[in-house]
Amino acid sequence: MAVDDTVPQVKKEHVLLPFLQTLNQTTLTSLYKRPSSCLSIFRLLSSLERQIILNLLWLESAITTSTLAAWVIREAKPLYDDALSTLSRLHVLPTGSGKLALNPTFKAAFRQAIAGGGSGGSFGVPAAEHKDDGRSGANTTVLDEYALERWETILHYMVSSGTDDRTRRPPEPSPGVRFLLKTSGLMQEVYGSLRISSVGFQFLLYSPHEQLWHLLLQYLHLADQRRMDLVDVLSFLFMLSTMELGREYSVQNLTKTQSAMLEDLRDYGLIWQRKQSSRRFSPTRLSTTLTSSSPPLPTKTGDSSGPQEGFIILETNYRIYAYTDNPLQTAVLNLFTSLKYRFPNLVVGSITRESVKKALMNGITADQIISYLFTHAHPNMRKNNPLLPVTVQDQIRLWELEKNRLKSREGYLYTDFASQADYELVLKYAKELDIVLWENAAKRCFFGTLEGHPIIKSFIERRSTG
Amino acid sequence: MKAIKGILMTCDPAVKQILLFFNEDHSFIIEDLDDYHVVIRADEERKVRSMLEAKLESNTYSLEG
Repeated sequence: MAVDDTVPQVKKEHVLLPFLQTLNQTTLTSLYKRPSSCLSIFRLLSSLERQIILNLLWLESAITTSTLAAWVIREAKPLYDDALSTLSRLHVLPTGSGKLALNPTFKAAFRQAIAGGGSGGSFGVPAAEHKDDGRSGANTTVLDEYALERWETILHYMVSSGTDDRTRRPPEPSPGVRFLLKTSGLMQEVYGSLRISSVGFQFLLYSPHEQLWHLLLQYLHLADQRRMDLVDVLSFLFMLSTMELGREYSVQNLTKTQSAMLEDLRDYGLIWQRKQSSRRFSPTRLSTTLTSSSPPLPTKTGDSSGPQEGFIILETNYRIYAYTDNPLQTAVLNLFTSLKYRFPNLVVGSITRESVKKALMNGITADQIISYLFTHAHPNMRKNNPLLPVTVQDQIRLWELEKNRLKSREGYLYTDFASQADYELVLKYAKELDIVLWENAAKRCFFGTLEGHPIIKSFIERRSTG
Repeated sequence: MKAIKGILMTCDPAVKQILLFFNEDHSFIIEDLDDYHVVIRADEERKVRSMLEAKLESNTYSLEG
């Protein structure tokens, strides 16, 4: 089995982009009126796409497609075409007319974002400084603690719903959050209580950034249903992503939809407010890093043991040592390891066939387990090459294969053909439709899919009558 | 010609031998195609899978069991 020593670091397209591409031109254009939205979307794009935009940004007139294409070497042509089509579907750069020019709304707003000017307050209106009335805004420590607490409540709620231990239930998140978890399919209702689904198990192994966007994407899908203006919702998220951590912003410029969002976002830990009725709010690190590459959750310091990132040591004998006192991380580990001992700052367990099988049954894949171990490996593990013991990686994959030893497809077995010619004719027809799962010329029979059966049936009937 | 409804099972030869062994008692195989494929009756899949699972488990050494 081929083992690569690094998990492939292919930069994937950001999850929001496919969603934006489904929106119509009118919606997108009104979104592009705000400089902060343009800047945020720009930050989500790949470097090639950014390159193209920046090249065209300060041009007053359109240039021909061939002018830009002259820059592209032949090997990179597919990449270039790909970038152009993404930009075209985002309605940032309409193609097809033979000339290239940025969407004028996008161009104007993005120029403003870079060069300043305009007075839309699209980057948020900072709240006035407090007079000395003893109420100061939250500092970064408070904000970080708040965001972390909110976010871990959600994850912990999910992870503990999968266990049967009902005595030690963590606090429940708000009804809004629970509704979102249910509609997103991360949890499903079983006997009146919410339980984590297999999608939810996979979700737990994502990076915090992916988790956050996964939930927000679901939130966007719900916007229509809740009669929220999608442009308002998106532009508010983008606005938050360009705000400054530790600063207070005023709510007075927000639209009705956006004011309603404040409550939801407070539940997710994206913003902080002193009181519900407060006229000002502070974005937390979760929201200010939405479109950036820095980590959305603070790395722990001080009282806690070890850094948040990188706490797992995995040995070749399948033993796992996790330097953590965080109940959430312990619970996530418990998804695929069998835990043996628990110390104040250390959890010891081992990866066994049973524990991996349990994870696989829950819908987690071997690759997800391996990539989780990879991303959370202890700094000392980073000296190893390959980082994770090859034996353990291979064994986890083998256990997964073991689960799939038997594959089944429903369908029809066609047999007892009158002549070879007859058999070949029907088989050829079936092959053209791509419904043959198995064939054997010597036995003169083949197996076709269930979906293909009516077509084959009518084909044979037509032939026998004709 | 004939068309028979069933489920095409794709597996490795070892698993197929176990299936043939089960078939002696339960008779669910419609057609034994080759080393990697058999067709079984459509309503028997669950039973066959659980029998196979139990058999494979009993052949595995477990630290915890």
